[in-house]
Amino acid sequence: MMAVPKGRDEGRVARLAPLLMLVAVVLLVAGAAELAPAVVQRRITQGLINLVAVVGLYVFVGNSGVLSFGNVAFMGIGAYVSALLTMAPAAKGVFLPDLPPFLAAAELPVAAGAFAGGAAAALVGAVAGFPLMRLSGISASIATFAILVVSYVVLGNWTSVTGGQNSLMGLPIYVGIWTATVWAVVAIVIAFFHQESRSGLLLRASREDEVAAAASGVNVVWNRFLAFVISAFLSGIAGVLLAHFLGTVRVETFYLDLTFLIIAMLVIGGTGSLTGAVSGALVITALTELLRQIEVGVPIGTTVIAAPAGLGDAVLALLMLAIILFRPKGISGGRELAWARGPKELKLSQPAADGHNS
Amino acid sequence: MDLAAEHVTVRFGGLVAIDDVSIAISPGEVLGLIGPNGAGKTTLVNVLAGFQAIARGSLRLGERSMAGSPASSFARSGIVRSFQSVRLFRGMTLSENVEVGFVSRGSGRQQARERALSLLKELNLHHKAHHPANALSYGEERRAGLARALALEPRFLLLDEPAAGLAAAEAEELRQTILALRDRYGCGILVIEHNMALVMSLCDRVHVIGSGKTIAIGTPEAVRADQAVRAAYLGGKELG
Repeated sequence: MMAVPKGRDEGRVARLAPLLMLVAVVLLVAGAAELAPAVVQRRITQGLINLVAVVGLYVFVGNSGVLSFGNVAFMGIGAYVSALLTMAPAAKGVFLPDLPPFLAAAELPVAAGAFAGGAAAALVGAVAGFPLMRLSGISASIATFAILVVSYVVLGNWTSVTGGQNSLMGLPIYVGIWTATVWAVVAIVIAFFHQESRSGLLLRASREDEVAAAASGVNVVWNRFLAFVISAFLSGIAGVLLAHFLGTVRVETFYLDLTFLIIAMLVIGGTGSLTGAVSGALVITALTELLRQIEVGVPIGTTVIAAPAGLGDAVLALLMLAIILFRPKGISGGRELAWARGPKELKLSQPAADGHNS
Repeated sequence: MDLAAEHVTVRFGGLVAIDDVSIAISPGEVLGLIGPNGAGKTTLVNVLAGFQAIARGSLRLGERSMAGSPASSFARSGIVRSFQSVRLFRGMTLSENVEVGFVSRGSGRQQARERALSLLKELNLHHKAHHPANALSYGEERRAGLARALALEPRFLLLDEPAAGLAAAEAEELRQTILALRDRYGCGILVIEHNMALVMSLCDRVHVIGSGKTIAIGTPEAVRADQAVRAAYLGGKELG
């Protein structure tokens, strides 16, 4: 089949198709949640917060091809910064008596706290990324793991500011289904325009072949750095949302379990496309919720049949293994959503792109 | 403005891969780089394209010293190389492969799309523009590599065995393409090639290296007649 030349405007609309469709999916999910019982609505809210985190991770991992274990550290940083800036001074006096005065007195509006949390995460991402982005492949991934460990140790031991191992409570709880939805849409829009940007194209070239990208004039370090900072910002926002959804922050929340969950979502959805990130977050949220129900117990007649505890994590791990073995490009197959009768450039990546380059 | 490496030495640990070699390419010139396997030809191209650090010597583009600059800035300065194995961005479309060069030289996305399409048209590849790069035939892949190089508007084009695996008729086509590029862009072209007939008919000058050292530099005829070259190559047998 020959490619049919498309008009310029038509091409533009087609290029926006994945964005519009992903936003529509998120709005549909949120609309459904509005009608659902409160418990389900909370789960969906949490799923959308996960979506922000997975899309944040995707901005760096998906476009650069370098796996990052460090993004949950940025979530923790965002969560704590926003908590410290928005908690009522009285509550801070109880949990954090040794807080520096300017922090103890601060009580910003929640939106300002959220941006400050994202900005702080981006700043830490920039400082850490500056040396790290020179690394490639597995050494870069291990270095990002070091970010996670360092942040965990610092947050867990800086008692005067974070409360150390104790939980911080009394955060303003303002994140419900629609706040989470707005941020999910914002995250998708940012990730989409980054991936369509000049820098996004150059970064994806370096993902395919770093040496050939350099030969095409691509400054790999700079484009990775940019993506890492954007990725850290979005992860920071996800952390803010989680903190103000739960109303408490605990350093344990932002460590290995959440790292595993977020990475599993991205891998299962497919690291190669924004569609993969979004679908991974939504599908895995639904699946883990289902498994949680089964762990709690399903009443059948008069008996309650419950699966052994830990089933959820085991299934998630097996599912990730199965995806890596049998469908390395994830649920999305590394493709973006396209109109059903869409243009060649979006549809054509289907038959040939699958077999190779996994 | 020449691209010149002077008295360049490259070491890999204890091994001296390039030993005090000077090589220069002028705009509009086609220079052949030949030598037996392991002579250091690809290493020399790596040096000229900024992919290989030098232990000694200098590297200049006109008056500007290039030693120590990252390879990507060589490419953006118009010193463009190809690879023996093409190395396309296989998970991207052919058009995107070409757009990368335009974008890294400053084009916007839309402008890069349009320029990539017109370049692919010239190389008769436009019907594959939106196909994934891993769905191309061997010959198309090699032309795609050329398109990707041309997107960088080369002032110097360094081609590592462009005729490898091509049949005689395709090699002749390649010869004409290279000469047409030279005429059109006015760029200096360096060609590593094992196909002696092609080298002799294509190049203005030929630079022969063996074991990391320069053996001879001269016109194809002079090099063909050179005793040292014959000795290094085929134990004295006639070249080409």
